[in-house]
Amino acid sequence: MNGPGRKARVVVHLPQQARRGEIIEIRTLAGHDMETGFRRTQFGELIPRDIITRFACSYNGVEVFRAELHPAIAANPLITFSTVASESGTLEFRWSGDNGYAATHSAQISVV
Amino acid sequence: MGRETRAMQDDDATNPAVLWLLDGEALWSRKAGEAAKACADCHGDARSSMKGAAARYPGFYSAKEKIINLDQRVNLCRIERQQAPAFAYESRELLALSAYIGRQSRGMPIDIKADETTKPFLDAGRAAFNRRQGQLNLACSQCHDDNWGKSLAGNPIPQAHPTGYPIYRLEWQGLGSLQRRLRNCFIGVRAEPYAYGAPEFVNLEFYLMWRARGMKLETPAVRP
Amino acid sequence: MLRFFTLNILFFIACSVSAGDDAIPAPLTGARGDPGRGRALVANRQVGLCLLCHSGPFPEERFQGNLAPDLRNAALLTEGQVRQRIVDPGKANPGSMMPAYFRTEGLTRVAPAFKGKTVLTAEQIEDIVAYLVTLK
Repeated sequence: MNGPGRKARVVVHLPQQARRGEIIEIRTLAGHDMETGFRRTQFGELIPRDIITRFACSYNGVEVFRAELHPAIAANPLITFSTVASESGTLEFRWSGDNGYAATHSAQISVV
Repeated sequence: MGRETRAMQDDDATNPAVLWLLDGEALWSRKAGEAAKACADCHGDARSSMKGAAARYPGFYSAKEKIINLDQRVNLCRIERQQAPAFAYESRELLALSAYIGRQSRGMPIDIKADETTKPFLDAGRAAFNRRQGQLNLACSQCHDDNWGKSLAGNPIPQAHPTGYPIYRLEWQGLGSLQRRLRNCFIGVRAEPYAYGAPEFVNLEFYLMWRARGMKLETPAVRP
Repeated sequence: MLRFFTLNILFFIACSVSAGDDAIPAPLTGARGDPGRGRALVANRQVGLCLLCHSGPFPEERFQGNLAPDLRNAALLTEGQVRQRIVDPGKANPGSMMPAYFRTEGLTRVAPAFKGKTVLTAEQIEDIVAYLVTLK
């Protein structure tokens, strides 16, 4: 269940340290019990869609990556992207979706 | 299993089952039941105490004189030690705990021993593996012993070594047990599956793990 | 017509040599089936199921199986032999893993939805036989 009772699980991997100007890879996984919106109950009623619809990453307050997700995305989406390590600071990750789904994560990076 | 699937499995940054491992780790140290005990209160740090445990399951449970699998072992602790209700089969909690315990044996060889006591259960499992069943009248062995490597509707038939359960199956988009996977094959040959936890299924699991003895555990594995 | 007679003669020879379970000479329905419908049944993965294990001349179908001989091998068999190999292949070849498509006895743990039912109906089997003999 994705209800407010359970904290959404997310896993983010990125280097803790990087050289200035280096291209770093960031890998994110978010846990979510998907409902595609195409399935029906045994009585033929459509089961409402419940998916993650948006993912964004900001680096010291500046958005560096954003994705809009649609049906056919994996249930627990693995999103990998890269950015340039420009300065030490904080990366904020934010997922949101149907039925008020929201998950956040933050990570530090030190740029030398 | 393809190269990409293996790469996804072997990297904690991409194996989606990691989401369940985190839940399992949290459950391990959460107090539960009337006894208000956590797994950790008896077993300590799972990373050392559970090392190798999953490689020895299913195993013989002398108090009931039968074979039990890891899910059932967890639930025995729930009921007897924690005095809490058993987790339902395939529930998020049970899968998470079994995956977390299994993870501590990753890379270790499956260590199922057949002896005088367990032989009847092993034989029952082997008989089930070799029994033709269902409307399509197929035995597990006819695909997984006689025809592995060939293509069933475009999919390569594996040798049915359950080295990584519970697995994250891409087709399921989630974690599931070996019994869930067995149900899929039963339904495929139009046979009536056994209920979750039924001794027939546990004996079959026991036989399959014995058959895979010596292979390295990959829990939680990723499979197509 | 001449070919038909030749085949029949061959068939009778085959019958007299083998145990008699090798072939079912007469159509199950008393009439020959429709090869067009038969081809569609063979290709249907929920009904005929054939392409899960067999391959055949279906250029439009991806993901065919190779557990079992190519369906074009039906050319080596008589119509009656093809029919037996669908109805109850174990009778013609005791080592066969192929399901019997027209038998309900002697099965184990059949799921309730399929209990007492054959995989295909007699009509469907005749359609498939009619299609497979065109592969000669």
